[in-house]
Amino acid sequence: MGVYAITGASSGIGAETKKLLEQDGHKVINIDLKGGDVCVNLATEEGRKTAVDELHRLCPDGLDGMICNAGVSGACGNLELIISLNYFGTIAIARGSYDLLQKKHGSCVVTASNTISQGAGRMDIADLLNNIGDEARVLELVRGLDKTNLSVGNSMYVSTKYALARWVRRVSASWAANGVRINAIAPGNVNTAMTATMSTSAKMALNALPIPTKYGLETLMDPSEIAEAMIFLVSPKANGINGNVLFVDGGTDALLNSEKVY
Amino acid sequence: MRPIEKYVEAMENKDFAGLAELFTTDGILCDYCTNSSNQREYHIYGREAINMFFRNKFGFRQYSILGAQVVNDEQAEFIANFGGYNIMAIATVRETDADGFIKKLTVRPK
Repeated sequence: MGVYAITGASSGIGAETKKLLEQDGHKVINIDLKGGDVCVNLATEEGRKTAVDELHRLCPDGLDGMICNAGVSGACGNLELIISLNYFGTIAIARGSYDLLQKKHGSCVVTASNTISQGAGRMDIADLLNNIGDEARVLELVRGLDKTNLSVGNSMYVSTKYALARWVRRVSASWAANGVRINAIAPGNVNTAMTATMSTSAKMALNALPIPTKYGLETLMDPSEIAEAMIFLVSPKANGINGNVLFVDGGTDALLNSEKVY
Repeated sequence: MRPIEKYVEAMENKDFAGLAELFTTDGILCDYCTNSSNQREYHIYGREAINMFFRNKFGFRQYSILGAQVVNDEQAEFIANFGGYNIMAIATVRETDADGFIKKLTVRPK
């Protein structure tokens, strides 16, 4: 049986993925702010370093899979947290576990979002994240934005997820050449604690984003639908898949962008 | 009312469900104006897809029409607003079935 690590596995998609992996007999290490096997704040450099150190201590023989799932929504009201956790926290853990994945020819999956194809992101922010990667400078920039404006929060969220997906695409060839596959998942809106605690206006916005497989049901996707895709991507069954951004959104992206084949 | 008039009425009222009901089950709506607003063309296939697509667009104020005028049995002109970007557009009912449901409608820049 394999050894897997998941960030943000105390709730939502991460918890469901952990449950399903454990049901299959795998060992799973949960890295989360609360309730994890490793409790750290991945929005901070110290937390990221501790997480990577702990992973090396707990898994000296390597990892079969690393699932970087921790993140906050655009409605969290904290633009700096969106930047630090969603982007910098994610790539720090992916990079930090790379040598462990190499040991077992493992695989990494990063959680992006299907919103990356809907044009709401700020490409200047995504470019700064991907091309400069200076966390302090980006944080200084977003401090000047209106954190109470939901659309600003959403645009920061989408920017971080877009940058994550692009980062995955960029590193995927070299990583695979060294034995480590890396892919991204782009989920649609999912029933999680994150979406359950959203404001009424944010929920209305969610419901206006159609999920074809849920047509007429006024419901969001189930975390298990995303978790199953994650487990597939991180497993040896997906050995031929690398550098992909897999939309697991019930067909929302296809509806809104039917002509975009690639 | 002619199909083009019903289309204009549904668009003006942001009635996504009513709009979808104007089409055959496999009806197609193609909007070519969007390239002028730096968006991809919209090609929407099927009644349910039209319902969901316009619920999204109307809900997020990404699509509206202004000053619509029906100019003949198949066509109407209006200013199409794509998230704040205005384009003079002409909608054409290209094909209907025997019951008057729209099989294909296009929207192009005028």
